[in-house]
Amino acid sequence: MAAPARHVGRYIQKNTYFLRNNFEQLWSHRMFLEHGKCCPSVLSTPLNGSSWSLPPSTAFIYVTYNKNTIYYRVVASRGSVNIALKHCFFLYFSRSFGWTPSLRQQAAETNTESTDSFVIPRKKTWSKEAVLETLASTVGRDPTAHPYLFQDDPYLSPRTSNEFRMYSLSQESGRSAAKYFVNSNPKFFTKDFAEPHIPCLMPETVSVLLEEMSEEALKERISLRKVTAAVDMYDQLMQAGTAVSMETAHELLDLICLYCDKDPVQGGPQAEDTEEPGEELRKRKTRFRRASDVLRATWRENNNAERIFNLLPERDTHCYSALIRGMVKHGAYAKAFSMYTDMLNNRVTADVHVFNALLSAAPEVRDKYKERWDLITELLNHMKEQKVQPNLLTFNSVLKALRRCGFLAKTQALCTLNEMKAVEIAPSLASYDHVLAVFFRAATAGESNTDVLREVMSELAGSSLTCQDPDDVLFFSSAMRLCMDNKDLELGYKVQSLVEHGENWRLLGDSYQQTVFYGRFFNLLCMMEHIDVVLEWYRRLVPSLYYPNHHGLRDLLQALDTDGRLDLLPTIWKDIRSLGHDNKSDLVEEVLTLMARDTHSPEVQEAFAVCALDVKSVFGGDRGRQSLEWSNASLSHITSLLLRANKTQEAWEMLQLFKSENRVPNEGLLEDFLSACRSHGSPTRAVELVQLSAAFCLSATGRLAKQALEFDLTEEQRAVLSELEATGEVSD
Amino acid sequence: MYRFLLRTVCTARTSSASVFESCVFQRDIPSTILCEKTNDGANSNQVDKTKPLDVDGEPAEAPTVVTSKAEEDSDIMKVEVKIEPVMATPKQVTTEPAKSGKESLLDLLGAMKVDVTNKRKLKNKVVQSSYESTPKSKPAAMESTISMFQKATEEASLQREALDPELVAAASAAASTLPDRSQAESELLRQLREHETITEAQKKGDMNHLGGIIANMKVGKNPNRQKTRPSNQIRFDDDGQGYTHDRGVTAELDGIRRRINLFSGRRLNIFSPATDEDGAESTVARPTLWDMDFANQLSLLTNQSPRNGLEEMIQWTKEGKMWQYPINNEVGLEEEASVPFHEHIFLGKHLEEGFPRQGPVRHFMELVVAGLSGNPFLTVQQKKEHIFWFRDYFQQKEEVLKEADVYLK
Repeated sequence: MAAPARHVGRYIQKNTYFLRNNFEQLWSHRMFLEHGKCCPSVLSTPLNGSSWSLPPSTAFIYVTYNKNTIYYRVVASRGSVNIALKHCFFLYFSRSFGWTPSLRQQAAETNTESTDSFVIPRKKTWSKEAVLETLASTVGRDPTAHPYLFQDDPYLSPRTSNEFRMYSLSQESGRSAAKYFVNSNPKFFTKDFAEPHIPCLMPETVSVLLEEMSEEALKERISLRKVTAAVDMYDQLMQAGTAVSMETAHELLDLICLYCDKDPVQGGPQAEDTEEPGEELRKRKTRFRRASDVLRATWRENNNAERIFNLLPERDTHCYSALIRGMVKHGAYAKAFSMYTDMLNNRVTADVHVFNALLSAAPEVRDKYKERWDLITELLNHMKEQKVQPNLLTFNSVLKALRRCGFLAKTQALCTLNEMKAVEIAPSLASYDHVLAVFFRAATAGESNTDVLREVMSELAGSSLTCQDPDDVLFFSSAMRLCMDNKDLELGYKVQSLVEHGENWRLLGDSYQQTVFYGRFFNLLCMMEHIDVVLEWYRRLVPSLYYPNHHGLRDLLQALDTDGRLDLLPTIWKDIRSLGHDNKSDLVEEVLTLMARDTHSPEVQEAFAVCALDVKSVFGGDRGRQSLEWSNASLSHITSLLLRANKTQEAWEMLQLFKSENRVPNEGLLEDFLSACRSHGSPTRAVELVQLSAAFCLSATGRLAKQALEFDLTEEQRAVLSELEATGEVSD
Repeated sequence: MYRFLLRTVCTARTSSASVFESCVFQRDIPSTILCEKTNDGANSNQVDKTKPLDVDGEPAEAPTVVTSKAEEDSDIMKVEVKIEPVMATPKQVTTEPAKSGKESLLDLLGAMKVDVTNKRKLKNKVVQSSYESTPKSKPAAMESTISMFQKATEEASLQREALDPELVAAASAAASTLPDRSQAESELLRQLREHETITEAQKKGDMNHLGGIIANMKVGKNPNRQKTRPSNQIRFDDDGQGYTHDRGVTAELDGIRRRINLFSGRRLNIFSPATDEDGAESTVARPTLWDMDFANQLSLLTNQSPRNGLEEMIQWTKEGKMWQYPINNEVGLEEEASVPFHEHIFLGKHLEEGFPRQGPVRHFMELVVAGLSGNPFLTVQQKKEHIFWFRDYFQQKEEVLKEADVYLK
């Protein structure tokens, strides 16, 4: 092995001249050069050590032997390692650099076979995050931990979805506040500490720099997304008689129409978009629904966009497009359609965005289902006539509009899907979501209507999805709702496994959607699955992915009840406490009822009693939260649980609580108590019990007193009891 | 081989997630055959005869047979592909019974079938009596074997007389207890007739006839099967939302039968597939504000918080806050990225001007250049500056050098 290597090394030096001049020729001689094919051993000639002393343009040759092909990797070594690697080209060619004649002969015998086996591989390019991504893919989710977001401050670990939302929002808002401060006071942040300059740590320009009146200033205002300032500047330019280029006019119209003639919320993410679209990834502060999204601006009659549009000397597709999109976005649907008619009259062809906008607005301007669909087909035919190729959003708009087309929807949705296939546009999750909505509503008869979902899932199974449409994120939760409504566990598992596949979890949407999704999944599990499996999922999902609300926990309790695993109640109660649901009275009472309903083995009763005492502490809690009201049922449940575990003293304290809370214990409870006294042989407690009963004016006092008289009593106690017995009988 | 076949069939059965109906029944055929063969395994003849089966079952031959089937079900799952070679044996026989090379195999199969039917005859008697008492519980294994021998109904009417009248009477009596009387009766009779046909064939030793029978054998579903299944009964839910079907294997089959294929219907017939130039046109256009807003919207929707420290580092890398992990040897050489390598290596051209052509200075400078060309840590600009410094230095010292007769022009 070593000997041939040395061999090659020597010949390389001899042949450098040849190499230098003949790289191009080598390619043309590939057929001829395939001699090395059957080299019998692995050769590797790391000439690195001596390379620097070789004259320039020496080549490194790495020879590898694989099955029946030898690959020479020729790397021109020009000076430095990094340069050499930079310009390294992997030349897959074979050449006998002076092989021994015998070898050459051997090679010649085999070279006829595989002349076409050479494939020049493409250069592999790695993104700069490649290493980290690979590392990150090795890290699994820790089901016992809180989300990574909260790990550096354990005090702020969220326990409910509300807390999750609040904490993550406050984290974001802290970042935003800092950024706002930095950006608005750039003069305090002039020192650049980072050695390779890091632009995103430095203040950004958010204020206007160019004050004079020029097109440049207008462009600057547009790029800073200052709508009113840009409009003012445009007006000034117009009054001064300066012509503005068409491109700037387009941008101005886009800006006005996008923000509906109002300044966007300042300090928002928008300012950076123009500078570097890739940077958008970090602007997550609006991940949760912003108030500004809800308070939509409405399109006013003759606003600046329309005014500027009318002032323009010539109007092309882009101008119309901006206007129509703006009108649809801000709710002026009828106006958008009249603008479209105007556009057709002026013989301007529309672009795909115009049609997408109009298609999504179609259900708004027609009332009847048939008319709506006719309008949609008309628009699609216009697209065809104007030679506009549809895109995914076109079809998603059609499908979304079909959700509001009643009886027509079912067939037309399938037709649309087939059209997508014919045009070779892969449907996104949003398309499927619309189809599901169409079919699910249509099939109300309860017939197995998961067929469509089943079909969709078999279509999607094992695919890695990307977000292509804003509605994509709605798919998973609505699919899971379908599974839940149809009690289709198998399909639910399929949806869940699709979510877990690859990066698909990113399409679950914001934290709210995520909670809804897992809530439905968990509900389905509680309904249909065996309790052991339910608990397994419970451990996997809570709290790292899902904070169950009290409905989810009630479902879990019911599942426990159904499968007769009530002995797990104490652990569930601990979770209820840690999830902060211990102030929900219905949940607490449910737990108590389930615990008190049946008698269990002594160990379980012991655990229940401890749990009951824990529940009791919740009622008296003074943790600044609204504490629970004692109800009769909860009091008596706790008391009987304590009695069953022979905790008479604690049970007696519970009975005292009845009095202070103005509740009346039922007679059965008191009788249980009395029998407990008997088994413990504590006559004093029995007498006290009867006295308590008398204080509550219970009808059972007489009976209790009679039973208590059978105890081993002192004379004094006996007298008291007889008196009580007598009064009890009288009251009867 | 037997064990292997059985195991393959078993794994195929268990691993089905959503299987096409046809495939399920295809699987049934070999499995039942095999099972019964093992039951009668005491017969030494059969053990011998398995060997040709082995040869035939080799995967090398199988694909040719399989292809026709594979084309029909375009989306057969991978699991099923694995099964195909195994299933190929019976299928080949059924489709090409006349093939001369397969005569021996036919013999084998014929004999095998006869064994089966002999046993079946015995069983059938038992079953007939059991029909009276428990009409709703047919043994499942039997059911599938019986259905294998179903034949066309028109033949039934012709051969009705051929059967023993007593048998016919018994069959009709048994059928009267079933819900669908006439159908059950005709089915029972058909079974009886088929056994007779096969025994006849065996007597005559007419193997071609038998081959025909096997070729004609259809995999049919017993229509009574669904009705008799208690698990398929309508189940009412507590919350009154209506009823749901039991989701078992049968429900899965139901779903397949009734499946709505999303992509095989009519289409709108408006658009034609995009051509290349359309796509090229759209990419040229500069992203507008709308595009940026849309992209922003999407990224906000999908971009979730990092799940671990590494993902956070990815995020920081994207934001440019973190020094990126090296993926090649050029990390951090951004300023040199546009400089071609020969600028680094061929520094000799800088010696053309301002230096003597020969002599010790020239010699010295060549060494300097050789050293510089091997230095990976300097930029081209720095290398040039280095050379120019020497040029200036030697020019300043020109007088001194001339005096010493070393500076030769």
